[in-house]
Amino acid sequence: MTDTGFGVLRRDGRTDAFFDGAAADQLMIKWCPACDRWFAPDASGCTDCGGPELVWARAGGQATLVSWAVSHARPRDDGSPAPAPAMLALVELAEGPWLHARLDGVDAGLLREGLPLAAAFEHPGEGEAYLVFRPTTGEEPADAHRGL
Amino acid sequence: MRTDRFGQAAIAGLGMTELGKVYGPSPRRLAAQAVRAAVADAGLTLDDVDGLLVSHGMSGSPGIELAETLGLRDLRLLTHMNAFGATAGAMVSYAAMSVISGAADTVACVFADAPLKPRQPAGSAYDSAAREYYGFTGMTAALGFRSVNAFYALAAQRHMARYGTTGEQLGAIAVATRRWAGMNPLAQMREPITVDDHQNSRWVVEPLRLLDCCLVSNGAVAVVVTSADRARDLARPPVHIWGWGQGHPGHRLERGSEFGLVTGAATSGPVAMKMAGVTADDIDVCELYDCYTYTVLVSLEDYGFCAKGEGGPFAASGALAPGGSLPTNTGGGQLSAYYMWGMTPLSEAVVQARGHAAERQVTKNDVILVSGNGGILDHHSTLILSPQPRGHRP
Repeated sequence: MTDTGFGVLRRDGRTDAFFDGAAADQLMIKWCPACDRWFAPDASGCTDCGGPELVWARAGGQATLVSWAVSHARPRDDGSPAPAPAMLALVELAEGPWLHARLDGVDAGLLREGLPLAAAFEHPGEGEAYLVFRPTTGEEPADAHRGL
Repeated sequence: MRTDRFGQAAIAGLGMTELGKVYGPSPRRLAAQAVRAAVADAGLTLDDVDGLLVSHGMSGSPGIELAETLGLRDLRLLTHMNAFGATAGAMVSYAAMSVISGAADTVACVFADAPLKPRQPAGSAYDSAAREYYGFTGMTAALGFRSVNAFYALAAQRHMARYGTTGEQLGAIAVATRRWAGMNPLAQMREPITVDDHQNSRWVVEPLRLLDCCLVSNGAVAVVVTSADRARDLARPPVHIWGWGQGHPGHRLERGSEFGLVTGAATSGPVAMKMAGVTADDIDVCELYDCYTYTVLVSLEDYGFCAKGEGGPFAASGALAPGGSLPTNTGGGQLSAYYMWGMTPLSEAVVQARGHAAERQVTKNDVILVSGNGGILDHHSTLILSPQPRGHRP
């Protein structure tokens, strides 16, 4: 993507499994073996059984769109161009958890609840890879092959 | 459920500091000033105060050390509370319960904050932009979720996609609120606006425009809660506390969540109304937590003033504006008057209940609903207030 607007993303000591997966274009989320229930990557325990021992597991990467928003940078005092708008989203993974995410390669006019999406990763020159979601139907951008 | 004692607490005092771009005093000094003002407003002295509830804030807001700042002695109730924007309503309910149970007689409840700094855009007070981000929390920020605006935008967009709610309907709320603000000398934004002005205001996080978002203010507001019997003999007309409720939906971010579609008002509203012995049809005035136009719209639905999904047409009907069927945010709310978290709707409710709102005073003020909303629609409070003792029927 041409616009990043991203800062540099770093590990914090509790996120190695997630970012190791991201580096290999794999979406890692949490799973409760006792309940066979999936959770977002930042879940700290199972809300069903109370078990703290969630394990990392690879998600399929398929998702659907729940909601979306376009973040516009504040106009700059000196009149220089502001960063391009960022397409933000809530997505529902096929496994059930929702993620706050960024959309890439989408036409804002075609967004709708339930739009099929697939996870992909951006690999910046510095720092960890970023998770983005791209539509799996319609006109995909030329660089969509970089996905999972 | 025993209901005979629920009407026996009242708000007897209201204290407000200067609000807005107030850069000098610390939040602790502002809080002390507001408590002193509220106590004096009630015709009491600090020696009469035996309870103090202090709200969480964002920028150096005081904790229970405020009691020491005020020189309060022999308190029987003292705590620091946080349900974010629902804290004010929750503080009043705990104060009322303390008074009713006899745990304390006179309880001051205060919120103070000073997120605004000189020469800094108001929006950046609640914003986070950094060069480096860490872990999962950092990832969300790095992806572009730089402030609470982004999360509310997702909520609003979900409502719009599901129910056909439009930007113009949100604009109608901004316009109605500004009309009320024009009659409030304390309001920071009083210039009239139109729906066109709203539609031409810049995007903050689409679908939310600048005129969909609340102000940011420095200052402090306090109220004093005591028994209804005692309040009758004090300096100001009592504002009787008829009912209260909380709602914490615990929206899990997973399949089936009603995030953005239904709020904690759907829980806190019926609890408070049942306690007060009223229904939505009995409410004369609404003072709703309006961090965004959208929160007003969705709260109106969840309280039952219109059907789910009909908040947009209801708002666009003019019902909320001066002269409308449901006067709402009669002081200009957080959108146009001042942003003191849950103290914004609460303070205006006290003014309206007392009949002290001058040019903007509503003609019928027997039953006033006050809402609080905290987090990303995570926490909710409702109060039902009245100038009349509980059980009054117009």
